Amino acid sequence: MSTPLLTARDLVKAHGPTPALRGASLELAAGEVLAVTGASGSGKSTLLHCLAGIVKPDSGTVEYAGERLDLLPEKRLSELRRTDFGVVFQFGQLIPELTAADNVALPLLLAGTSRAAARERAGEWLERFGVRGQEALRPGELSGGQAQRVALARALVTDPKAVFADEPTGALDSLAGEQVMTALIHTARESGTAVLLITHDAQVAAYADREVSLRDGTVADPGALPAGSATSAAAEVSR
Amino acid sequence: MRTDLRLALLLTRGSDRREGWRVTLTAVGAALATALCLATVAVASLQGQYHSALAAGLLEQPGERAGVVLTLLLLLVPVLGFLGQCARIGAVHRDRRLAGLRLAGASPAQVRRIAALEAGLACLIGSAVATIVCTPVLLRQWQNPPVTVWADCAGVALAVPVVGALVSTLALRRVVASPLGLVRRVRPSGGRPGPGLAVLTTALVMLLTGLAIAPRSFGGFQTAPVPVFTVVILTGLGAVWAVGASARPTGRLLAGRTGNPATLIAAERLRDDPWAGARTHAAVLLVTVVGTGFVGVRQVLLDDLTGRDADSFPTNLSFYTTGIDLTGAAILLALAITLSGLAVGTAESLATRRRGLAAQAAAGVPQAVLGRALLLETALPLAPAVALAGAGGLGIGVWYGQLAGGGTVPVLPVVVPVAVYAACLLAAATSLPLLRRSVRPAELRHQ
Repeated sequence: MSTPLLTARDLVKAHGPTPALRGASLELAAGEVLAVTGASGSGKSTLLHCLAGIVKPDSGTVEYAGERLDLLPEKRLSELRRTDFGVVFQFGQLIPELTAADNVALPLLLAGTSRAAARERAGEWLERFGVRGQEALRPGELSGGQAQRVALARALVTDPKAVFADEPTGALDSLAGEQVMTALIHTARESGTAVLLITHDAQVAAYADREVSLRDGTVADPGALPAGSATSAAAEVSR
Repeated sequence: MRTDLRLALLLTRGSDRREGWRVTLTAVGAALATALCLATVAVASLQGQYHSALAAGLLEQPGERAGVVLTLLLLLVPVLGFLGQCARIGAVHRDRRLAGLRLAGASPAQVRRIAALEAGLACLIGSAVATIVCTPVLLRQWQNPPVTVWADCAGVALAVPVVGALVSTLALRRVVASPLGLVRRVRPSGGRPGPGLAVLTTALVMLLTGLAIAPRSFGGFQTAPVPVFTVVILTGLGAVWAVGASARPTGRLLAGRTGNPATLIAAERLRDDPWAGARTHAAVLLVTVVGTGFVGVRQVLLDDLTGRDADSFPTNLSFYTTGIDLTGAAILLALAITLSGLAVGTAESLATRRRGLAAQAAAGVPQAVLGRALLLETALPLAPAVALAGAGGLGIGVWYGQLAGGGTVPVLPVVVPVAVYAACLLAAATSLPLLRRSVRPAELRHQ
């Protein structure tokens, strides 16, 4: 069994009076693609936010590479998001004022990389995701599928250890969704990046090595960490 | 810092027309604030008897100059309110952008610096323009200005952008706190009055205690500006607090009882964001206190002047009336500035909510109902606040009448809050054409 990269234990989180997580526990192995499924309002997105250090749980622990994310100061969490984590949402995470290339280069710019070097690296990633030639366009000028591939390039440009994707194909048609998922899984496999995939779409979940279901704020069946072999659609992509 | 500056410039270069408006209006507001501060510094630095052709001799004696300084400082209030409204243009859009930066790994300090640089640069442009224009004017009017005044002027030119940047940073504290920005907004539980009430109560108690313990030094003619300024600020803050504090109970009460769709929409909006009115009307309420108080003081002064024997005046009557008229003109200017700010704020609020409004229109809510709801959103919380602001101003007039010893009770000031209330409704109505555009179904496509 693999060593967990990220471990969450008994996470509890409420938004005002509404409970979102009620003791959710989960492990994500290095290089694993894990799908978290569940009905609307089951707490999937909140779980992702807690695991990525975007929000702090009310109680429970999140451990990453020996560090307790729930105890880390905001500055260190920001650094982790810049270097070790990538985040992709359904839409809206790209900055409308920046071009596609600058959006991808943003984490590198924030880390102090020179603009020329950051843009060159962004260009390479845009090429990998098949959106080369769109560098100068702003998010509003891109199609939904293109914008999502730019968002993926931005999430992966720093060679993160884990990518958190919240319904990455939720706003796309089936063809664009398939292209985005193939690109994500293929790149993650190549670079050994773990992917935590939030989805309610069985076809998207099929790309994962493992699937867990969230019900009423708890993980219904956490399952065991994979021994290392990819399965189903993910295996096809890796081939 | 270089990285932050580079990102701030990249973001500014890629921003849309609305962002351009924000930068322009912020620069205009900063220029006005700088000009007023420079004039205050210049007048305050004059020593003893001074001859000037400006303002009908109002700058000649130290006593009158203190009044001019006070007026200039009071004029700063609506200008700062206007600056606050300008900062709100495109606020939701900007909040999302900065939250996006946090999501990409920017630390809270980095986001604060980028936001401060964006606002500070706009204020710096305005401040620089005002300084360049005002300096030759001051030089032409001034005989042998002391060296320290130039240092003060330089301080003002630098302080305005710094203050603008600090205010912007403060306004963005919620975005800085979370990479999700305002996406998941939790409605406050309500019920608690918040720290504003405690601060106001303490300040009022301190003022009343001061008046009770030392009525001569606290309530005399010589120190009149101190209690007047305190009452203006406290009543203004109280009125602003009243808008927010009364909005939620008013909304709850109306939402439970009304059968009118427009009232229901307005009531639910008041419950959802009770402090929206307070943010939009803060400067107007402060001007209402100042305006009502001024009209009261003016009536007392004019009654006193016209009631006296002409031989008892050492100078021409116009010396006094010019000062009063200039102050009145300044307050009218302040009202115009705040009403412009109010129109900007209402239009901005509509632009921010255009998707929700379009959804309501698409669901069959008539445009007339939405228009009435919009006006009610302004009218309902503003009524008690304007009444309170007017009462505060009236109090100043009555108190001044007692100080003057003439026993005059000014009644004219009562007109001011009524006129301001009507003007506010008119300013809100100017955004109705924008409402017509906002409720187009095409707006549903915007994020």
